[in-house]
Amino acid sequence: MMATPAISIQNVTKIYPIPFKREKVTAVSDLSLTVEPGQVYGLLGPNGSGKSTTMKIVLGLVSPTSGKTEIFGRDSTTVESREDVGFLPENPYFYKYLTGEETLHFYGKLCGLSGAKIRERAKELLKLVGLENAANRRLAGYSKGMLQRIGLAQAMIQEPRLLVLDEPTAGVDPAGSREIRDLILDFKKRGITVLLCSHLLEQVQEICDRIGILHRGALIREGKLEDLISIQDQTELILENATPELLSELQAVIANSSARLLDQRKPQKTLERYFLDVTGPQP
Amino acid sequence: MTAAPAATKHKLFSPARVSAIASNTLLELVRLKVFYFMLLFALLIIGSSAFTSKFSFQEQFQVLKDVSLGAMSIFTWLLAVLATAMLLPKDIEDRTLYTILAKPVPRFEYLLGKFLGVLFLLFIAISLMSAVFVVVLYTREQTALAEASRGVPPNLLTDEIRQIRASAFNSNLLPGIVIIYLKAALCAALTLLLSTFASSWIFTIITSVVVYLIGHIQPIAREAYLASATVAPLTKIFLALVSLLIPDLTALSLVDDIVVGNAIPMLLFAKTAALGGIYVCFYFLVGYFVFSGKEL
Repeated sequence: MMATPAISIQNVTKIYPIPFKREKVTAVSDLSLTVEPGQVYGLLGPNGSGKSTTMKIVLGLVSPTSGKTEIFGRDSTTVESREDVGFLPENPYFYKYLTGEETLHFYGKLCGLSGAKIRERAKELLKLVGLENAANRRLAGYSKGMLQRIGLAQAMIQEPRLLVLDEPTAGVDPAGSREIRDLILDFKKRGITVLLCSHLLEQVQEICDRIGILHRGALIREGKLEDLISIQDQTELILENATPELLSELQAVIANSSARLLDQRKPQKTLERYFLDVTGPQP
Repeated sequence: MTAAPAATKHKLFSPARVSAIASNTLLELVRLKVFYFMLLFALLIIGSSAFTSKFSFQEQFQVLKDVSLGAMSIFTWLLAVLATAMLLPKDIEDRTLYTILAKPVPRFEYLLGKFLGVLFLLFIAISLMSAVFVVVLYTREQTALAEASRGVPPNLLTDEIRQIRASAFNSNLLPGIVIIYLKAALCAALTLLLSTFASSWIFTIITSVVVYLIGHIQPIAREAYLASATVAPLTKIFLALVSLLIPDLTALSLVDDIVVGNAIPMLLFAKTAALGGIYVCFYFLVGYFVFSGKEL
């Protein structure tokens, strides 16, 4: 028996009328996609491609003009479906006068959790997102990265099975961005489904199992990441401690075969890895 | 920590969720330092009593009640409009509204929580203003009593004391203050309704002020029009609609009666309170209707 999809979007179209004009804007056009439980799904696309509208439809903040969306089998326009969802919007500003801990208590109460459960979850999540020492500080004094992490904690307060994250690392420095990425990978290990919208393609490549590319409201590509980006007729070999003799031998073997050596070079670190190595804690 | 195995049963209406939103809204509003209004109020009524020291005690009490209840009415109205107008736009701009509505929180509960937060704020504000008013009134009463005991012949003193006490405090004060509160609540509900579809909080405030003014002049305009024999049927319909949608705010005030010392019949108080209550519910429900269909 197939598991119920975490998200099921079926033929969704969203058309916005333009006030005082006869024209209409199609934000999403006949979109269908499925996110299976436990997947990290990356929704990509340029600005105005319909990513945010799609997310809002999934969260019930916007109603589709036609089509249907479900979260774990429940119609996503119903309030009940949101018991299974945690959401972190892009650049969120939570109530600045609340401390980190009070923020989690507030969202815990909205989810109907008991006082004891909220205290337990808040403690656990503050530790998980590395904000234990800032738990009693007001959010007004939090850095951008800390706000994103408290945002992730509030999204997780009721132990949802699905996390919807809109640009979770926007405006965060590389170290903070890395921490958030590690948290998402940690959620994935725990079996939590993640729907991620991001412009940072490198990051999406690192953490997503599957991606969908939206362009002008339509899904133009969709599939497993490795299937979409691997070049089928090429093979990469990365050798360690290869002697010049061995490399010459390999080149000779290749020259005698039908294959063609396209490139031979030293692998490089990403700039991000290099930056983190030089700015991170020294051994 | 693991992912939740399955969703729990969702409560259709949860007082706990509403109270979480209401108390957070109250905290949000209190942090905007709205209680500076109170300081102004205290200065105004203490100052007004200083100017009336040469009047008779009846006149002093009348002026004090007139100024205090009038100021209470204006300040609670201003507080209601300014505090309510920014609630929704701020939550939308900061995207906190998304994080709240992405939780299992029905829009009705969100809006009710916000509104109750404003009502709590108005309650605290009017209670503080009433307390300042009662203290100043009591002080003036004690001064008048002390002056009477010094200057009035002993055979007339009992009568004089009775008159001073009757002019200072009477049972009309509380219903009057309740009606001022209801009027402010009505203006808050109206402002909340406007903010559910307004594109900016400035528009909300201006429209709310305009409606407030119409509410005060509409009975005069309506009577003038209806008294004329040449009123077109269409005008009549328009006036009927305006008087239905915008309450006669002059009817929502008992201050004049209180100042001159007229007794307020229980029935008049009940009718006035019911009128205010009905409009509060009406505006709130229309606001919810608009908000429930709003694309966020």
